[in-house]
Amino acid sequence: MSESGQGWEEGSPERLYVITGGRSGGSETSTLDLVTLVRARTGPPPGMPPEQAAIVRLCSSPLSVAEISAYLNLPVSVVTVLLTDLLAEKRVEARSPIPPANLPDVALIEAVMHGLEKL
Amino acid sequence: MVRAGSSPGDHRPTATSAWLFPVVIVAAVATVAVWTVPSSARMAVLWCGVTATVAIAVLAVEVARRGHLNAELRAEVARHDAELRYRLAQQEAETVRLAKEQLPDAMARLQRGEFLEDVLKSVETRTEGLTAEFHSAHQAVLHSVLTAVSAEEDIRESSQRAFVNIARRVQAIVHQQASSLREMEDRHGQSPDVFGDLLRLDHGTALIGRLADSIAVLGGARPGRQWSKAVPLFSVLRGAMSRITDYQRVELHSVSEVAVVGTAVEPLIHAVAELLDNATRYSPPQTRVHLTAVEVQSGIAIEIEDGGVSLSEEARQRAEQMLAQAQAGMDLNGLGETPRLGLAVVGRLSKAYGFQVSLRTSAYGGVRAVLIVPQDLITTTTNATGLAHGIGAASGPRSVPAPRAGSDQGSGSDAKRSTGPQASAPVMADMADDTPVVHERTSNGLPQRRRRTPPAAAAPTGSASPAGSVTASRAKPPAQEPVQPGMWLAAFQSGVSGETPAAAPVSNSDESLDKGE
Repeated sequence: MSESGQGWEEGSPERLYVITGGRSGGSETSTLDLVTLVRARTGPPPGMPPEQAAIVRLCSSPLSVAEISAYLNLPVSVVTVLLTDLLAEKRVEARSPIPPANLPDVALIEAVMHGLEKL
Repeated sequence: MVRAGSSPGDHRPTATSAWLFPVVIVAAVATVAVWTVPSSARMAVLWCGVTATVAIAVLAVEVARRGHLNAELRAEVARHDAELRYRLAQQEAETVRLAKEQLPDAMARLQRGEFLEDVLKSVETRTEGLTAEFHSAHQAVLHSVLTAVSAEEDIRESSQRAFVNIARRVQAIVHQQASSLREMEDRHGQSPDVFGDLLRLDHGTALIGRLADSIAVLGGARPGRQWSKAVPLFSVLRGAMSRITDYQRVELHSVSEVAVVGTAVEPLIHAVAELLDNATRYSPPQTRVHLTAVEVQSGIAIEIEDGGVSLSEEARQRAEQMLAQAQAGMDLNGLGETPRLGLAVVGRLSKAYGFQVSLRTSAYGGVRAVLIVPQDLITTTTNATGLAHGIGAASGPRSVPAPRAGSDQGSGSDAKRSTGPQASAPVMADMADDTPVVHERTSNGLPQRRRRTPPAAAAPTGSASPAGSVTASRAKPPAQEPVQPGMWLAAFQSGVSGETPAAAPVSNSDESLDKGE
């Protein structure tokens, strides 16, 4: 039987939950956010799932989570799940941006600035 | 007939002698009597003798005539009898032929889809030796049987069509649902809770889709989707995993780096999904199911091994019989009350696409299903679509140069950052660093041509230094994309550091790009 009206499929046959193994990156990924920089420690070993291998290759120089997500065309949650695995295997290292709390207080800087101007 | 014809010939002389014999005796006795009696009574005796002789003669002649007649009649009866026997034998043969040849043949032709009229016309055959009545009765039997069969066939076909039709509608809805779910997943990718829910919905939708596909396949149609390009085997296997309930229990091991041609992608996904479903369903929930694919002489062998309930020899035979039955063309009617769609679907697909399936006892104690994909459905990964995000992390390589440059200068955390803006030479070195990485990806069969077009298009408009042509071509796209200020800065720097800005020829920049990538 030939059914017309069904377009050719162009995408991928695999769904995202297979890539993440059903995890959505909910609880354990608190250390990773969009701007966390990720850098690979080693090259991709043989037999690694293609997404992970691609991340490791991409991150031979530091790359943010958001960028990885964009290049792999995968949602951020998927990337964070994969990155969590890679971090656990010590294949990549993550460097969080400096938390705002560690930066000097803006008010303090302004006070110093005003003080200097008054000199 | 021969006997009947010859019998009067040798019958006649005996008959003649037979009727003469009593006459002669009577005549002789009368003569003796005439001579022995006294002469006074001689006359009376003579008369008596003559009368008796005549009477006997008449009687004998009559008897002989009747006997002759009788013989003729008997011969005729025998002839008639033989003819009847012959006719009977012929009718018997004709009836046997009807039962053993004509009906099955006509039935088979009907089931092959020939028209009732054509079949009926062609079964009208020899009539010699048979009465018209007998022949027409035979034809009537044939006609009514074939009409009934074709009516039945029509009903079956239309019910199958209805099944397929409904399945198609479900498939369409599921497909639409799946693509919109994918969009939602992309949109809500940043909120893990929503994303997790979406994944669950997505999974459920895929299960519904598989059921609809199964019904369509059993109805004699193709499984739902069609793939225009070859898809890497890895993606196909994961696609199969994504359609079963317990996909988390499936362990995907080494997969040879081949792709499956577009036409066979969907059937293969479906067949493997059904086998995986069987494997996960009939093994304890804590065990794993192993999925591997290796190259063999005749193609690719996909092995599915579970550590579950062992398959007894009887059960194995039943399963293989079911597969064989499905390959012989079982339909929805044959599924029974508790339909076990799985193997029937696999059998159907195997028949249509030339897969070979066998079920054996596994070394783990469970079942080991091996599906062999024939060589002609296999192609190299280079022909495969780059869109599958499996091996297709394909989208990675083409965008590598940009992120590097972007992160180099934009992030401010890399050691290379300081070298980037300085001059063209270090940048070239940087690009040289890129090259091997990219080549490594190329060996994986990943298409990486997509990025070339935008810079080439941008090349004539952008202004950059001809000396460091690599730098120039690197610098041009950012000139159009303000998103990457670092790149723009690099171009600015290289311009400031002394090179005279000039329009680089397109071909030149293309070459440099080729080198660069």
